[in-house]
Amino acid sequence: MSYYDIDAILTDNQKVPCTFNLTLPHLGYLDSAPGRPLPSGTKVDLPLWLAERLAVSQLTPQTSLITLDLPPSLSPRVMNALKADPKSVDLRSLAANFYGLAERILDLFEEEEVCDVLLESWRVRASEGVEFLRGLSEEERVLFRSAHDSSKAMRVWMGEMKKR
Amino acid sequence: MALPLQAGLTPMEVAFLCEMEMVTVVPRQRLERLNLLSGPTPALRPPHRAPLPLWLALLLKRQRRANILPPPWLLPSSLERILKHETETSPLAFSPPPPHPHPITARISPTDHISPPFLPSSTAEAPPDYLPYHWLELGEILLEAASDDVPEPDRVRGLLRDLREVRMSKMRGSVKVLEGEGGGVSKMTGVGAMEVAEGRGFILGVLDGLRRLGSSREVARREREEEEGGGEGSEDEAMGFE
Repeated sequence: MSYYDIDAILTDNQKVPCTFNLTLPHLGYLDSAPGRPLPSGTKVDLPLWLAERLAVSQLTPQTSLITLDLPPSLSPRVMNALKADPKSVDLRSLAANFYGLAERILDLFEEEEVCDVLLESWRVRASEGVEFLRGLSEEERVLFRSAHDSSKAMRVWMGEMKKR
Repeated sequence: MALPLQAGLTPMEVAFLCEMEMVTVVPRQRLERLNLLSGPTPALRPPHRAPLPLWLALLLKRQRRANILPPPWLLPSSLERILKHETETSPLAFSPPPPHPHPITARISPTDHISPPFLPSSTAEAPPDYLPYHWLELGEILLEAASDDVPEPDRVRGLLRDLREVRMSKMRGSVKVLEGEGGGVSKMTGVGAMEVAEGRGFILGVLDGLRRLGSSREVARREREEEEGGGEGSEDEAMGFE
């Protein structure tokens, strides 16, 4: 992933649910109570790039500033749906950069089962492809486009043969 | 992503490489030896057959100075048998490439390492019922430039299309059986050059996706191994924290 990769930036921008472990002054506007302190234990959706830093940084060896939760797009409900039938899930409505998000989350959490389910669904959805283009996540679209481009180049070549 | 060039070769480049293949021609005019970089061509004397590289054969064909003999595997009967093999005998694997013309024995000989572009696999003496490395592009080129030399060109064209469809769907299906972790590479023996060019984007994309999703697990596994193995090699560690 390069620094200017637009997909990487968009992936970083996806929200994940976090719980604050401290009371923070003047940050109440995050929870629609401007001017007041943000009480500890509040749940707020933060973009991934911010949440990741805050969750990793430690105030004392035991506590960190926030606790990360699994985002709804990777919740057990979605995982069960993917397990049942990978093709029927509309990943795009869950998260545009679904696999990018999953990749980052898997770095932070130890979720063997989620990892298995995602590997399987990536594989199955990749080999089916075409009919459900609307529900594809961004990564799947890139894959689909590259596969499409190579077969298009092939058709162009065959067409050029005709002309000569 | 910065460079808009795709990995691998484009169909045009593959077709260009294919023009190095040897084909058999039946000359209509005399032509003395030509000294080419790849060695002298045989002197052409009608009606004796001679092997020529495809590009030269195409040139002579366009000037109506020679006819090209289609390789035996390009005949409809042979293509039908291959198609039957692809669909019925082994519906999962690709049909095998032609056998090596020089017997490979326990004794090492210099012919052991000659591989398809340098083996004449499309001359009139080539074995039927096997698709060589450049089957698709050679078939298409011959059908375009020398369709009057190929018996039943329309049927051959249809069969080539069918074979391509069958084999491409096999290639796409092959990612289903890939193992998620570690050594699951599907078997690709017998795949042609043009098919590699066409399938590369898709297969690499799938593999890359699998690698990314599995990367966290891979890092964890590596760390575990390192702890067990007493920290061998600092290289792995550096790679884990990219």
